[in-house]
Amino acid sequence: MSHPLEPRLAAYVAGRLPAASDVAVNALERISGGASRETYRFRLTYREAGQMHERRLILRRDPPASLIDTERRVEFEAYRAFHGSAVPVPRMLWLEEADAALDHPFFIAEELAGFQASPQMLFAGGYEAVLRTVAERKWTILGEIARADPRALGLTSVMDAPALDACWRRELDHWEAIFDSDEAEPQPIARAAIRRLRAHPPPPAQKLSVVHGDYRTGNFLYDDAGEIHGVLDWEMAHLGDPLEDLAWGFNPIWEFGRGLAGGLVAQDEAIAIWQSASGLVADPAALHWWILFNCVKGQGIWVGSARAFIDGGNREPIMVYPAWWLLNAQDRAILKVMGRL
Amino acid sequence: MTPEVPSVLSELAGLLVRNAAPDVPDAERASALGLSSMLLALAAEVWDGAAERLVQENRALAVLLDDAASEASLNLSALRAENARLRARLIEAHIAAERAGDMAREEAIWTELRASTERRKLSVSPV
Repeated sequence: MSHPLEPRLAAYVAGRLPAASDVAVNALERISGGASRETYRFRLTYREAGQMHERRLILRRDPPASLIDTERRVEFEAYRAFHGSAVPVPRMLWLEEADAALDHPFFIAEELAGFQASPQMLFAGGYEAVLRTVAERKWTILGEIARADPRALGLTSVMDAPALDACWRRELDHWEAIFDSDEAEPQPIARAAIRRLRAHPPPPAQKLSVVHGDYRTGNFLYDDAGEIHGVLDWEMAHLGDPLEDLAWGFNPIWEFGRGLAGGLVAQDEAIAIWQSASGLVADPAALHWWILFNCVKGQGIWVGSARAFIDGGNREPIMVYPAWWLLNAQDRAILKVMGRL
Repeated sequence: MTPEVPSVLSELAGLLVRNAAPDVPDAERASALGLSSMLLALAAEVWDGAAERLVQENRALAVLLDDAASEASLNLSALRAENARLRARLIEAHIAAERAGDMAREEAIWTELRASTERRKLSVSPV
């Protein structure tokens, strides 16, 4: 049975490919997960210059209410900036910011097919021999992101460029405001962490970097040999302190209960790989600040997820699961990082 | 747990009915039912002890704050509302202790916060 979005999507693509005829979309199916965007894969066929073409593509559409509220243009441009670089990303095709075509803004990209993203599969036993390779690639690629020049990538035109000594405050203000607007119940542990962070700010950033914003195991595509073929989920990308990105992966939540950074290697090993690739230094005290910050940020995301469900903007189960599974675990992660667990 | 369990169960009931329809794409049905299954398992895990946990915690907070925990109703919604009131007061008390440099008071509050995460801990908690 065909998906009701298929003819509407075909009509949109036909408008973007004026030289094409017989444009058709089929095999459209939603990919599970994707709490901040609805993600679908589909097959596009069309005739052009006398030949039939077939392409496997991805549609990322805004949901009615999201776990994370971000501009899809920022995500689109972040992907586009890194395409063809040492940071593997899928190729972006079209960005549509109006609601008319598919009810909500969306973008379309080429699918990187044949790879896995699931942390559960990665840690199920079949990949034990290549986990070190995954780690090497994971933190090398993150080092490349940190090393890149946002201006040379053209990203300062779509992302704010804070002063080096203002990166931490910009992020902390943003996420504290999420608590103020979204929390459904008091958060005494996160609030205590926020007070600690404000009382003991980190040093200025070494440089202004692109910050992916959600760089963790689960947001990249890997193969059986441990190679990484695509870094995904750039919806929280911004410019800031490169330590922010390194520290997000050290939020204890992303150990997946394995006691290793990202579930992969010891934290010191991950830091060494990142330092070598980025040419930057991870000052321990500054990194600790950013790890605690990222625990607060994580809690802000889970609080926002619960809020989206409670307010009725998005009643899908994916909005509930992170809140139920992680709100208390994130509190425990905060306690752990603060030396209170 | 937040969102509250009854509102989630109610939503899942509707979702199951919608997914019984024959025109739901297979992948979307599989995703919806898979997530629903995980949520039902979590709801089942907390169901029996939910009221007991809230009563315990509200009493502990009341002692710490020299307050009185209302148990006029043992409905979960009432206990949760009382818990939210007491935890908001706990935040105020924590700030006051920090400002006063009252280390003993701070330590008592951290002990209760740590205990609160033990009470809420799920079998699938990654931390």
